[in-house]
Amino acid sequence: MADIVFAGAAAHAPGLTGWFEKAEAGTQAEVRDAYRRLGDEIQQAQLDVLLIVANDHILNYDPSDYPDFVIGTSAEHTGPAEWFKPWLAVDDYRMPGRPDVAEILYERLAEADVRVVRNDELSFDDNISVPVTMTGFKEHGTALVPVIQNCTVPPVPDERTSYALGERLGRIIRDELPDGLRVGLLGSGGLSHEPGGPRYLEIDDEFDRWFLDLLAEGDHEKVLDQATLERMEQAGAGGTAELLSWIVVMGAIGRRDCEVLCYAAVPDWRCGVGAVRWELDREPATTIGG
Amino acid sequence: MALAHFSKYFNRDLVTHKLVQDLKGDRELRERFRADEGSVLDGYDLTPAERTAIEGRDFKALYLAGVHPYSLGQLSRLIYGTVEGAGSSQASSALVESLLSE
Repeated sequence: MADIVFAGAAAHAPGLTGWFEKAEAGTQAEVRDAYRRLGDEIQQAQLDVLLIVANDHILNYDPSDYPDFVIGTSAEHTGPAEWFKPWLAVDDYRMPGRPDVAEILYERLAEADVRVVRNDELSFDDNISVPVTMTGFKEHGTALVPVIQNCTVPPVPDERTSYALGERLGRIIRDELPDGLRVGLLGSGGLSHEPGGPRYLEIDDEFDRWFLDLLAEGDHEKVLDQATLERMEQAGAGGTAELLSWIVVMGAIGRRDCEVLCYAAVPDWRCGVGAVRWELDREPATTIGG
Repeated sequence: MALAHFSKYFNRDLVTHKLVQDLKGDRELRERFRADEGSVLDGYDLTPAERTAIEGRDFKALYLAGVHPYSLGQLSRLIYGTVEGAGSSQASSALVESLLSE
């Protein structure tokens, strides 16, 4: 029986690495501190493997054949993909994988009612590159298993499908991964943005703050009732639904107290930026259902 | 007229998607695209409307034809450059200006 010993989520906006300096100094410090805190917690959790749940940006598959979930089974993960390098302005990275863990996840998740495939040649864009850089994870030497999720190519698995997939993922981790394995989960994506759409230059900070407050409130059923795929799309089509990767993490851990680490709406970043962590060491303080 | 959600128009089989995928993954193709865009477009079975829209930087027409906005954003960066300069990038500004045009 393996243990989930870390759970967090954060935006992977390319502006965080590519043009971070366009934010005011105070905002930069707040955001940098939040990602460092996530990185510190990941390191202190002494993980054997971190699962990063994230969409790609139509990088690994053409829209004509786009799977719902892709498990990265490679023994080593490198990035970023060459074309994204000037955009992201991050150093190249090389992180160990865990093919044994990835294969179990693939085989068992493939039984879900969504299309799950495996890939040992995944390329990475903002999705993995930004969080592993901002948190410092790429320097930890800890293994990574990427779980790439379709959040943008219709038909997109919705919030309840994502949560159920997360519940299944949590059961597989706890019941089928090797005894004593220490597993972390990081949702990567969001918050509001509309890449390539008519509201590309806009951020819906009202939605973002509402969403983060909802998570902090801790009622997962309420989150699923209200933070629907449709509501996310209203706050920025094609991009805001990256928050479905956060929903997968929530499904895997069940109801836990959620702490919001930062939020920033920087117009030049063209994406609401936030980060959260969930408290796994104790039962939730709140008594609401969900 | 405001544009509806992209899923109303989305056409997963448009060849423009394949063009953008190939350009992202192939440095030599990108260099040829910059030097002689027409010769690259000749190699793809684009509809006349797609080709005209790409050549005219008419991102709105591509959106209405069903190109996914992620691919549109990437196409704008393939055309205008991917590095952010001072202020908003030329790529994102050109894209939004086209999408919001009457």
